[in-house]
Amino acid sequence: MKRIAIFGYSVMSLEAMSRLNQEQCSIVFIGKDDAEAALVAEKGFETKVIDFRNDDALRSIGIGTDVDTLFCFYPRDFDNVFLTISARAIDKDITIVAIVDDPESAEKLLAAGANKIIDPYEICGRKTHEMLTKPDITNILDNTVFGRHDLKMAQIEIPKGSCLENTNTSELKLNERHNLILIGVVDRELGDQLHFAIREKEHCLDAGDVLVVMGPAREIKAFKKQVEQVENDEFKSD
Amino acid sequence: MLTRLIVYFAYFLKTSRRYQSAKLFFYNLLENPNSRLKSYFDIFMICLVMLSVFLLIYEVDNKLSKSEVLFERCVISLFIVEYLLRGWVYSDNHKIILEHYEKAKYLNVPFPLAKVAGIILGKKIQYVFSPLALIDLLAILPSYRPLRILRVFLIFRLFKLLRYFNSIKLFANVIASRRFELVTLGLFLGFLVFVATTGIYLFENPANGGQVKNLFDAFYWAIVTVATVGYGDITPQTPGGRIVAMALILIGLGVLSFLISIIVAAFNEEMDELRESSTYAELHRFDSFIIICGFGRVGQHIAAQLKKDRLHFVIIDNKEANVLKAKRMGYLVIHEDASKNGVIQNAGINNGATAVICTTGDDVINVYITLTSRHLNPDIRIISRANSQDNVKKLYQAGASNVIQPFEIAGMVVAEYIGQPVAFEAILGILREESHIIMETLCVHPGSFIEGMNLVGIGFEQRKLMLLGIISANPVHQKHKNSYPIKNQHFYFNPELHFVLRDGDLLVVMGREYAIDYFRDQIEKSRLKNGRKG
Repeated sequence: MKRIAIFGYSVMSLEAMSRLNQEQCSIVFIGKDDAEAALVAEKGFETKVIDFRNDDALRSIGIGTDVDTLFCFYPRDFDNVFLTISARAIDKDITIVAIVDDPESAEKLLAAGANKIIDPYEICGRKTHEMLTKPDITNILDNTVFGRHDLKMAQIEIPKGSCLENTNTSELKLNERHNLILIGVVDRELGDQLHFAIREKEHCLDAGDVLVVMGPAREIKAFKKQVEQVENDEFKSD
Repeated sequence: MLTRLIVYFAYFLKTSRRYQSAKLFFYNLLENPNSRLKSYFDIFMICLVMLSVFLLIYEVDNKLSKSEVLFERCVISLFIVEYLLRGWVYSDNHKIILEHYEKAKYLNVPFPLAKVAGIILGKKIQYVFSPLALIDLLAILPSYRPLRILRVFLIFRLFKLLRYFNSIKLFANVIASRRFELVTLGLFLGFLVFVATTGIYLFENPANGGQVKNLFDAFYWAIVTVATVGYGDITPQTPGGRIVAMALILIGLGVLSFLISIIVAAFNEEMDELRESSTYAELHRFDSFIIICGFGRVGQHIAAQLKKDRLHFVIIDNKEANVLKAKRMGYLVIHEDASKNGVIQNAGINNGATAVICTTGDDVINVYITLTSRHLNPDIRIISRANSQDNVKKLYQAGASNVIQPFEIAGMVVAEYIGQPVAFEAILGILREESHIIMETLCVHPGSFIEGMNLVGIGFEQRKLMLLGIISANPVHQKHKNSYPIKNQHFYFNPELHFVLRDGDLLVVMGREYAIDYFRDQIEKSRLKNGRKG
């Protein structure tokens, strides 16, 4: 279970918190005062109040020990930079996602050690542009991947000993057997990038490879279960 | 009796559709600055004037042939017709008559025929004495034989060109806006030239050993010197004359630079307006464009994307800083408040705009612009930005086609990134067209080879394409499973192989750009071929 710490109260942090699957990760909101914490606690999230400028306070909420991911959602860039630098100094492996207000701060945040920079304005601009130029595609994605229907996109990692080990991608035939569409594969033999499944290349699946599939949530769940069930005979006979 | 006849005639003109449309046509042809007809007419007239002037120059040394005389006469008669038509379009007589008649009837007093005639005549005289009409008249008059002495005025034909060049008109307007400064400076210059003329005449008289024979020479010398031209044909010889010359040169330099600075400043001030009018002119040239209201951070990203796509767009913003930024980037900008009806209308919401995007940071303004745009054009696509969740509904109510919430989207993106980074990067990559893999919709055109085919026949695998699903509003397909309602259509995810395509269906495919383009070309070609057979 991932532990995620969210700093800064804004529309964005609330949206991110409500989107995150609470079964898969535990979320803690870090407020700067009791009023903020109370507002978030009302929505049913765990909250804490600390001063983010103090390293001991950061350690006390679990940075360096059990927090895997950190969201810096302060409205001011220098707060985010400071928090990023402090957290990176405490824990080398933590994933830090930060929002950026001024595009020029993006480089500074990356230099401070953030893993992913989010520019809300840029995303919004792109989204508007997509709506203008590809309304149909955007509509489908909005209704599926960005989830208002139960059509989802998901990534499934193949564990060691899975029934799919040593299977070729063309043998999967997910669309016939599972009502899923295979979008792409991350073949670890070829690096970390995603190869789209458009019949250009055959990939042999090994443990650690990732399948990106699209389909109804129910079927994804079922398929995931099958893949993750080590030594499953049912699938082979399928 | 006469009054009744006149009033009856005025009513007749008012109701006559043919009369109205004829007048409108000539208004568009001659005066309406926004009509395309006028710009063609202007070009035609410019050519005609140039030709006739060349003919006049040719006439100086040669005798004209019969056809050339005929041409000259045609040009003149066209000028006369134009002059009269402009006079006709200048004011609406029947409107003046009816206005006064109705007023008289209401007040129960006799119709003041003489007064009305006076007003009408006054209007027409006003036209005759307007500067451009005077030039027109002077361009025509010298052609009349008994008035051949007026040949000098033929040069007015060149001035007639003023009428047809918009930029010259703008220049005149700029100069006119600085009338006060220019008149003051002109008076001073006149005084200076006068003093210098008298001075040089007194000092440089041939009796004193100078070259200035008369007052005209003195005046000529003063003008040439004050303008810093200094031909040197007349030069001061006496110490007194030289002192006058030195003083005149120094003061002349000051006056000249002052004059230039006034004109430059006037142009600087008027430049915004000039640029705005050129913005509108440029917009009119586009067949389709997008209106972006608000050039904040989101607006800038949208503009950059649209530029990459080579789509035309215009930005409306009322913040000076944003306008300057947009100008620096070379975008078309209108520095106005987009919430005013006139602004969006002038920008062309009913005249080529395909979409309006409201991206100001203030939801109140976004709602207002959305409402205004929807009111002006019920069919246009409006995409609006909502900064707060509460206002999404209001924007849809105001008539937005789509509502975008920057912070919500960003929050969603973060959540997806944490949950499923690979899947998420994949979809973003496709949308941003970073890799060569794109997602596109292909329309099943009626008459194309794929219409009526099932999915096995198309062979997506051989085409190296991935079919994600089919969007269709056709009720025939409704028995298929995996359908997801999207607005008033259905999205059929992962359709079965026996799914038969109907016209109007949209295939959602993913693949390399050229594979998709090739498939699309095939569909289009087959449709044209079958269309021809049919």
